Amino acid sequence: MAEEMDVDREADKETSSKPEKMFTLKKWNLVAMWSWDVECDTCAICRVQVMDACLRCQSENKQDDCVVVWGDCNHSFHNCCMSLWVKQNNRCPLCQQEWVVQRIGK
Amino acid sequence: MAMLGQQGQCKFEDKWPSMQPTVLKLLRQEPVTRDQWQDLFWAVHSVCMWDEKDGPPKIYDALQRDILEFIKQAQSRVLTHKDESALLRAYIAEWGKFFTQCNYLPKPFNQLEANLLGKLHSSMPKKTQSGEESLVRKLMLDSWNQSIFSNIKQRLQSSAMKLVRDERYGDTFETQLVIGVRESYVNLSSDTEDKLKIYRENFEKAYLQAAEEFYKQNAHEYLTNNGVQNYMKYADQKLKEEESRAKRYLETGYGCQSVAALTETCVRVLVTDFKEAILHECAPMIKNKETEKLRLMFSLMDRTVDGISPMLADLEAHIVHQGLADMIAAAETITTDSEKYVEQLLDLFNRFSTLVREAFGDDPRFLTSRDKAYKTVVNDTSVFKLEIPIKKQGIGAKTQPESKCPELLANYCDMLLRKTPLSKKLTSEDVEKKLKDVLLVLKYVQNKDVFMRYHKAHLTRRLILDTSADNEKEENMVEWLREVGMPADFVNKLARMFQDIKVSEDLNSEFKEEHRNNNEGIADAINIKILNAGAWARTSERVSVTLPMELEDYIPQVEEFYRHKHSGRKLQWHHLMSNGIITFCNDMGRYDLEVTTFQMAVLFAWNQRPREKLSYESLRLATELPDAELRRTLLSLLFFPKIKRQVMVADAEVKGPKDIHDGTMFWVNQEFSLIKNGKVQKRGKLNLIGRLQLSTEKSKEEDNEGIMQLRILRVQEAIVKIMKMRKKITNAALQTELVEILKNMFLPSKKLIKEQIEWLIEHKYMRRDEDNINLFIYMA
Repeated sequence: MAEEMDVDREADKETSSKPEKMFTLKKWNLVAMWSWDVECDTCAICRVQVMDACLRCQSENKQDDCVVVWGDCNHSFHNCCMSLWVKQNNRCPLCQQEWVVQRIGK
Repeated sequence: MAMLGQQGQCKFEDKWPSMQPTVLKLLRQEPVTRDQWQDLFWAVHSVCMWDEKDGPPKIYDALQRDILEFIKQAQSRVLTHKDESALLRAYIAEWGKFFTQCNYLPKPFNQLEANLLGKLHSSMPKKTQSGEESLVRKLMLDSWNQSIFSNIKQRLQSSAMKLVRDERYGDTFETQLVIGVRESYVNLSSDTEDKLKIYRENFEKAYLQAAEEFYKQNAHEYLTNNGVQNYMKYADQKLKEEESRAKRYLETGYGCQSVAALTETCVRVLVTDFKEAILHECAPMIKNKETEKLRLMFSLMDRTVDGISPMLADLEAHIVHQGLADMIAAAETITTDSEKYVEQLLDLFNRFSTLVREAFGDDPRFLTSRDKAYKTVVNDTSVFKLEIPIKKQGIGAKTQPESKCPELLANYCDMLLRKTPLSKKLTSEDVEKKLKDVLLVLKYVQNKDVFMRYHKAHLTRRLILDTSADNEKEENMVEWLREVGMPADFVNKLARMFQDIKVSEDLNSEFKEEHRNNNEGIADAINIKILNAGAWARTSERVSVTLPMELEDYIPQVEEFYRHKHSGRKLQWHHLMSNGIITFCNDMGRYDLEVTTFQMAVLFAWNQRPREKLSYESLRLATELPDAELRRTLLSLLFFPKIKRQVMVADAEVKGPKDIHDGTMFWVNQEFSLIKNGKVQKRGKLNLIGRLQLSTEKSKEEDNEGIMQLRILRVQEAIVKIMKMRKKITNAALQTELVEILKNMFLPSKKLIKEQIEWLIEHKYMRRDEDNINLFIYMA
């Protein structure tokens, strides 16, 4: 199968010779949706879906920069929301474990 | 001694003989020289200064005597006339002279007045200086009133009224005659509290009565003889006449409402009394667009209390009736053709607006009626309806009809914004104007959420398939939607979609750069769009499919690339949205086909066995497409409109999805070719996507269901918002506020509101008051 495909592509490049395959791919426009890899769709701090920007960013029209942060406990929130939260209480609002940033979305 | 002598000469008795002739001359309006005039001032002054105690009262008495004497003479002159009009004429002549002199004679006696009043109230001598309050003037006018006017005022008044009546019949006369009588009334009042009281109770009253009687007699007759339409002209003209006449003959000074009172009386007898008859003509006039006459009627009715309301009702009824009639008459074309439909709606709107402008001068009350009625037309469901299912627990789906207008508006927008024959035909300005027209109609649409949903679906399609006619216009449209007050979260998502497309373009070039030297040619073969699920996704849109090996192999590379660029993100492939170009080689030639990924999945199944026939069953196994989706895809390959030779052939006669069975056999048409001008082409390009992509079988139904779901949530959300703010609220107030909050999305039905209130009560968001079941209380 793999061999056949290679042959197929060779043939396709040389337009003079007839390709073996009846159908060959010329262009593929493929579409995917990305979403944050989170367990809970809603940010427990601002109550907005994590796929949308947090309320603060929405009102300041900074939708693009509003990313998600994951803690060691695997809970996730808007990074903006969490950075305000930890100033008052350095614990995860959901499980009360000490908040340690595992990774920040990009 | 000299002083005494001088003092002696300044006694009243010394001075009066030289003063009296001048005073008499003034009263008779005879010429007075400058010296005589000035001497009079001096004499009054001297007497008042030197003969402080006795002088002033004596002058006053003497003056009074002379004035009374003069008036007596005038009286005898006036009263010699027995004929009423001659009496009036003589009176006015005498009065005219006398009244003028009232302004002059008091002047030399200023000093006298100061002295006389100074004795009475010395604290405020200044005030008495003003002409109006002048003692001498008052003396003159009071004397005139007592001696002449009060005796003959009734006779004068009726003569004056007779003259006015004659004028109404078209005679002309000396206007001064009536004005003089009025002046007498106004100026001769002895009532200091309310100077106009006597005038009002006599002259004004008589004038109003006369006017009322006159028109009571004539208006009805005119109406009977000439019909309503002519009568309106008559009434309008008479009202104007009476108003200008009133300004001439009635008192117009500050604080006097005579003219207004007259107008009110005239409106009552000329218009209000015939309101029914006049308004009866309104509806037919609106129907026949008799704008001139309507304008006249409007100006007449606007003077009466509540006269406009029946006209507003007539206008509304006309717009609703005419609008619906037109829509129903054109139902056949407009139900299938969004363009025609929107144009018809706009045409109606413009027609009604013209009517309101020409007949009612864009009066705000009529504009409101136009809006209200037009809204009814736009949201009417008799021409066609959109079925919105209401899911009830366990009972099954019930439908509630709604106007299809928002859907058709969205379709029309799509036609303007997409590369279509319509958008190619139009100039950029035309497109812009038409889009603005859509927004205008949209303003009247009750359920804007339906428009939003369809508009977004169309936009998605245009962006994915890259079929926008003009990107700048697309982005403008987003801002216009924002400007007309579409909900911000909706508009933000649209804006985000445009951003995503730009981000994807950058991502794509990076990907190509990275794979530039890859020998598999991936950089050229694929084009990626990776979009924000929050802005784009609709729940129903993921359809699973088994990709052909040729495609499947690319996926890990893209995912790998994306993982390097971003972290914390997961990708979901939406093959329903993806598409591409494949080269199809057969016995006839080589053709480039633009196809959806599902079409590719089906066609690639033949690559291993180009000339074999494959059963539906085996195609389903190969592609793993859901039944409905596979059938649709097959049909698109069997019957693509407007081509003579199809890509695929089936063994049975297949007309619709139901004709396909597990055993139906399909094969690739080796005779397929493009035909141009009757000649077989060896090369060519064909787009097989058409309207196929992005509208799955069930998505339409789900769209409508989704709309309903969203409405339920919005209603709940809005109720909680109101309750949180108000804490306690009556049912009626809650409904009103709810409609206000939701109005730029949809109009919640009573039933929907009721259900959601019940739900919220059940879930302890709120409760009913124990004593009043129509009062709700918020529960935190």
